[in-house]
Amino acid sequence: MVSLADSPTATAPKKRLRTGGTLNRILMVLLLTVVTIWLVVPFTMAVLWSLVDPETGWNYPDLLPPSLTVLRWVEVWTTTALPQAIANSYMLAPTVAVVTLLLASPTAYCFARYDFPGKGLAQVATLLPLVVPGFVLAIFFSSLIFSLGIYSRFLSILMAHCVLFLPYAIRIMTVSFGQVRQDLIDAARDLGASPFAVFRAAYMPALLPGILASLIIVFIQSIEEFAIAFIVGAPNFTTIPSILYSYLGYNFIRPNAAVVSLILVVPNVLLMLGLERLLKSANPAQMGGKG
Amino acid sequence: MTWRRTLLIVALLTPGLGVILVMIGSVFYVAVMQSFGYYNLVGEDSFSLEHWQKVLDSKQFSRALSYSAYIAVVAAIGSVILAYPIAIWLRRPFRGSLVISALLKAPLFVPGLVASFLFLNVIAFHGIVNQLLMWIGATDAPIRLQNDRGAWGVVFLQLWKNLPFALLLLTGAVQSISDEVLDAARDLGAGSFDRFRKVIAPLTVQAMQASLIIIFIGAAGDFAFQVTAGPTNVQSMAQYMVFLKDSFGRWNQAAVVGVSLMGLALFGSLVLAVLARVVLRGGARW
Repeated sequence: MVSLADSPTATAPKKRLRTGGTLNRILMVLLLTVVTIWLVVPFTMAVLWSLVDPETGWNYPDLLPPSLTVLRWVEVWTTTALPQAIANSYMLAPTVAVVTLLLASPTAYCFARYDFPGKGLAQVATLLPLVVPGFVLAIFFSSLIFSLGIYSRFLSILMAHCVLFLPYAIRIMTVSFGQVRQDLIDAARDLGASPFAVFRAAYMPALLPGILASLIIVFIQSIEEFAIAFIVGAPNFTTIPSILYSYLGYNFIRPNAAVVSLILVVPNVLLMLGLERLLKSANPAQMGGKG
Repeated sequence: MTWRRTLLIVALLTPGLGVILVMIGSVFYVAVMQSFGYYNLVGEDSFSLEHWQKVLDSKQFSRALSYSAYIAVVAAIGSVILAYPIAIWLRRPFRGSLVISALLKAPLFVPGLVASFLFLNVIAFHGIVNQLLMWIGATDAPIRLQNDRGAWGVVFLQLWKNLPFALLLLTGAVQSISDEVLDAARDLGAGSFDRFRKVIAPLTVQAMQASLIIIFIGAAGDFAFQVTAGPTNVQSMAQYMVFLKDSFGRWNQAAVVGVSLMGLALFGSLVLAVLARVVLRGGARW
């Protein structure tokens, strides 16, 4: 993206900015209202629903629940498979993140530091997992692993998630490897550094933000992924999204769904904000843009 | 290139690109073969067009295909149309523009199922929408808005989720147009609509095509929004495919739907991309 720093210089743009001021203020107020309606209201309602007292309920025509309690949270935690699902998701996601990074790095290194015929095509081909519809991938991947005789759900989902999220890791790491400066590598070598010392001095500082970004984005994507976890994992291996789906499907239990939604979304938003701080210059949303 | 160098590059590409190609390739292969009667979980493998015939003859399939195509077209074109004015507005930084773009991007980080759930709460019997309708006197009792037959709920969710994505791509493209170009157009007497049609749109056509393609493919393969908020009298392609697989394990027929869904994704996104180029280039004779 082009930086926002190429600011207007002469007097003419100033005038335009001033006349745009009132309009912008009106647009701002309008947009903030819209954003309130489309973010704040829905999330507030989810929080309220998760705190509804089962004794009194929350029925028409009450605008707000008559009484609030954390009973639902306790109940969902103690009587459902949620703790197991959380354990599964949070065991799976870090493994996926690390394995994906390890698989992506050589390819990213190659894209960033070598020129070869067909490189453009190869880079486009890495985007393939993003253009195959998720449920098609999930169903026929499960068919594939049945015929291969792989019965470990964890291993199957791990494999599928790694492939699905490789495009993100490859793209982020390609940028990072491109930022490693050749003169630093040469200088370290000239000073007699061992390959490991060269890596630590010349590569690591440039790669670190990319490594963290890649780990966080793949981690979040893996926690949130539904199609593969649901199709391949069912019925034994539950993750947080598949539990949420069970409360939204045939047995629609609103307060339980509210609890699970918040458990799913809040840690990821916090991680994303952390990432945003980590990469002030880069744009994590663009790298992680998901459908 | 020396053979050593070639070998090195192949070795480097294998764990990343190689794994992607093998895996996506085999999934595609299994889907196609299964649709023609191979890779059966039970029973003998043999070539057969029976599964294609059965699925293509069913009314459910043609309804699912046209429904998914409709949702995908509306989602892709709608998101881009809504995102353009905002992207142009956010082209120059102003006080609060960063906050606004961050807030607008927020739905990108909300998983589909959570988005569905949030939406279902808002349109519930005592959700804010019904309360508002009754307060302004549009209705006496709350209306059932969930799973509406016109699929407005699904369309709304698609736009909610995909508008930020289109905005992300288009903002980058719009910001890279230099002031000189726009000033020149203005000096030549172009009004704001002409500036959009003849300058901004042709210069951002690639970002627009990328948004159209990715949103179309995602919406055509939608399962989560359709199952939770969609009409109950029609299935989306992904939903129909899962239904076939789960009911009596009709894997071969599910494979036919899966292959057709991939075809829809490929064909539809190509048509949209070409259309975007033709329309914009057609409007840019100057």
